[in-house]
Amino acid sequence: MIRRLLNRSRAAVSTQPAELVSGRALIWLIASFALLLVPQWDRLPIWLMASCAVLAGWRWLAQSGRVRLPGRWMRTGIMLVLVAVYIATVQGRFTVETAASFFVLAVGLKWLETRSVRDFYVLFFILVYLATVNFLFHQEIHWSVINLVGVALLLVGLQVVNAPDIPGAMKSGWRRLGMMLVKTLPIVVLLFVFFPRMAPLWSVPLVSGEARTGISDTMTPGDISSLAQSSERAFRVTFGGEIPAYRDRYWRGLILDRLVGDTWQQGFGQPFRRPGRVAVDGGVGELETDQYDVLMEPTDQTWAFALEDSAAVSDNVKRTDEGLFRFDRPADTAVRYRMELLNDGTSGTLAAGPESTRRYLQLPSSGNPRARSYGEELSARYDDPRAIVQQLLSRFREQEYFYTLRPPAMPDNGIDTLLFDVKRGFCAHYAGATTFVLRAAGIPARIVVGYQGGEPGADGEYLIVRQYDAHAWVEAWLPGEGWARVDPTAAIAPQRIEFGLREAVAEEGSFLENDWTSPQRYGDMAVLQWASLQLDRMNYHWQRWVVGYQGQSQMDLMSRLPGGIGMRELGYITAGIVGVALLLAGLITAWQYRRVESRDPYGRVVSRWHRLCDRSGVPVRYGETPSQLAARLSAAKPAVAGTATAFARMVNKHYYGREPDAGSQGELNKMKRLLATMKRQADRPSTSPSKG
Amino acid sequence: MLKAFRSRWQRWVNQRIPRADQRVFGQRNIFILPTGAGVVFGGLLLIMLITGINYQNSLIYLLTFLLGAVVVAAMHQTHRNLSGLELTVIQAGEGFAGDMIPFRLRAVSPRHDSLAISLACDDSQLNQQHIASGQQEDVTLAIPSYQRGYLQPERILVETRFPFGLFKAWSWLRPVTSGIVYPNPIAAPDVISTVEDGEEQSQARSVDGNDHADIRPWREGDLSQRVQWKRYARTGEMMITDWEGEQGSPHWLDFDAFKGVDRELRLAYLAHQVMERARTNSRFGLNLPGQVIGPDTGAAHANRCLKALAIFGLEQPREGGPLPHGTRANENGKAAGSASFVGEGQA
Repeated sequence: MIRRLLNRSRAAVSTQPAELVSGRALIWLIASFALLLVPQWDRLPIWLMASCAVLAGWRWLAQSGRVRLPGRWMRTGIMLVLVAVYIATVQGRFTVETAASFFVLAVGLKWLETRSVRDFYVLFFILVYLATVNFLFHQEIHWSVINLVGVALLLVGLQVVNAPDIPGAMKSGWRRLGMMLVKTLPIVVLLFVFFPRMAPLWSVPLVSGEARTGISDTMTPGDISSLAQSSERAFRVTFGGEIPAYRDRYWRGLILDRLVGDTWQQGFGQPFRRPGRVAVDGGVGELETDQYDVLMEPTDQTWAFALEDSAAVSDNVKRTDEGLFRFDRPADTAVRYRMELLNDGTSGTLAAGPESTRRYLQLPSSGNPRARSYGEELSARYDDPRAIVQQLLSRFREQEYFYTLRPPAMPDNGIDTLLFDVKRGFCAHYAGATTFVLRAAGIPARIVVGYQGGEPGADGEYLIVRQYDAHAWVEAWLPGEGWARVDPTAAIAPQRIEFGLREAVAEEGSFLENDWTSPQRYGDMAVLQWASLQLDRMNYHWQRWVVGYQGQSQMDLMSRLPGGIGMRELGYITAGIVGVALLLAGLITAWQYRRVESRDPYGRVVSRWHRLCDRSGVPVRYGETPSQLAARLSAAKPAVAGTATAFARMVNKHYYGREPDAGSQGELNKMKRLLATMKRQADRPSTSPSKG
Repeated sequence: MLKAFRSRWQRWVNQRIPRADQRVFGQRNIFILPTGAGVVFGGLLLIMLITGINYQNSLIYLLTFLLGAVVVAAMHQTHRNLSGLELTVIQAGEGFAGDMIPFRLRAVSPRHDSLAISLACDDSQLNQQHIASGQQEDVTLAIPSYQRGYLQPERILVETRFPFGLFKAWSWLRPVTSGIVYPNPIAAPDVISTVEDGEEQSQARSVDGNDHADIRPWREGDLSQRVQWKRYARTGEMMITDWEGEQGSPHWLDFDAFKGVDRELRLAYLAHQVMERARTNSRFGLNLPGQVIGPDTGAAHANRCLKALAIFGLEQPREGGPLPHGTRANENGKAAGSASFVGEGQA
């Protein structure tokens, strides 16, 4: 009775409160949280960032005892307020951004509840997944480094939480983690290369609610000039052969052929596409001389950009009837595709049937009367459409037309105002006006939007096409020739086509005038240019070889290895790598263990003897002499009495004796023989007492 | 079913880890399994892999593989942290039943640091022991006791979760050396326990405790009058009364003084009396069937008496034998050894 009571009281005492997390561990967690929020800076609302900072700071102050953690009611209150703010700002939209904010909100609220080691682990798991989510949004090398450092901080924090009071925990933690990474790196690399890149198990598009910088599928005259203020990268191109001349770098993206008011649109509705992911990988095989690889930044659109007279090589892009190229799905991440230059002018083969003629001759029923009559006048004056085009271009060339990023506003009859009064505009203005006049003259015409130009990256390895290279030009249908490029900008500002926007607006000084942080703005600072290009090159290769290493690249790489390696073989290889790695690690551990044991051959024999004793039910005692052990062994197993005593005598002689033959090979062999005999005797069933 | 499995497992472990006061932990006797956090982390890695597959994101693959490899490395690290550690029982403590009995253990890790090792036995735990490479570290683990006798801990759990807490590696130390648990002192209802020897009966009731008599075994040259013949007749021991004072006689604490009382209770009464005498620093002797401790004073004497009470009627546990005296396993009546001493001597 008394004992039972005692038991009960002891059991009550032993249910200790959960182990509290130490401040030294907590600081790592907070640091990691702060770091992992950095890649989210442009998608998280300010209020959320601020609340996270306050909540984490609160937790830290509570740890150092300066404030108290909120009680249950207060906590619930804070949670309700923040969730309400969240719901108010989200307004029912479900995008990647709102999902990510919710995730971050959950982490922020968790800070107030982080007391025990268990909570620490919960936060650890969430933050690791936050790092994962970050990779969905940013894949550049510096963001990757930030993410990985964030995870490393977590792993150091875990070590601290598991041994909070060891001296030099931080240093040894980093060293331990570093050793682990170094040791496992080969396996990680092998797994990365060989792990089969399966098709998505189910398709979850990254629906972003954020507008991306880039060309859009409608064009009002001011659109592209605002794009010209951005030095963001649009895409990068590697050529297998020679890079085409600057003036020939027309990257066609989409065609606008329908004028409504002063807005140009795509003529036909775009076909419905199932939501899903774009195939991001165009293969890594050797580039042929007439091929080029495009690594495009995410656009959230299906357009692929290609030079005129190109054909698709990789199968993630398809050619449309208009000679454009499209992905199956919107490019929500960086996409690589491969194209081929044909050089045979096949882009113009499209016959202008009655239907498409009507489509490319469409004009609004009213507006811009002067441009209309000018077109009709040209049509009356010349029979040959080529002559009409020439006439229009020479008008642009000869008269005082200006190419400017600061055109005046032209609200009513914009094309008339541009052509006959103001004569100042950007490429979009002139392309629109040219198409309008040509159509009025009865020539089928359309606006092509894309990019023109591109600057060489570091060492001219590839071309970088930026947003300010965005361009709009015209294609006109000429009988016998098909669609021909007509670029009014080339007539007005040849520098734009020959050298780029920087040269074209040099006098005006308007190049990137609102983009203070862009290195491209400071074109005259060679060091800055060099550094920015080197950084770009690093990112390019990172993007190309690491980030872009997906199914097609893997298959290309595997096809270069002997033996037909398919998906299934990759699976086997992966399993093999994991198995061999585990085996190797086990063997190394075993070897380390043995090595220590086996420094002294006598010691090894003795420890084998000890194991035999252990097995025979005579555990070795601390401080026992060999003779005592032998005596006990003999008592347990009379059969071994003789050999055990002899063996013990030899051990004594070796370690404590002064015989001349101590340490000789013969002595060792004799001991081994004795041990073997002893084992045989011990294992003989008749003498071994039944065990267990 | 589960019970049968558990007992099989216990048998297997006991066979694998025989009793020894010293153990070097190595591959043969270290067990390792993921902790709850480790299992959850495994699930997280799986989710990350699926995220990587679904979003065709190479960097997520990379992070997954990196963390997966680190987890495997951590498993080895956890194992290594324990492996090579040498643990020796250097002193088994003594105490009253119900107290925590301190066991002193010496830990040596010759090859590398063994960090954040925890030792546990029954409910008692010793966390965060760091054993620096090549240094010896003495730790004291208090093991709860429930009844008097030898306290031979069935298993001392040696565990580590370092570095990440995703795996736990553990082994057991099954010491041979037993601690001694004195009976829990209980005051006897009546003071009838002191029995005086022979002729000195009339002077016996000395309450002040200033007796100066001593009882010691017979030596050559001792006068025959001095031999306590009565005692000799009873126990067969030739004891000599050494007189140093005029008044008083040694107080004998006698097992036989409590007629009709359960043996364990008698021992508890005696323990209480020993404690009382020791507190007042009186001179006393202990008379147990089969063992007599002559009158003396001082802590060492009291200790000796308590020890005698503790192990009275019990055998030193055999090594390897399942005799978990005083441990909870016994308390629950599971162990076979318990019957051997509870049963006997009861009225």
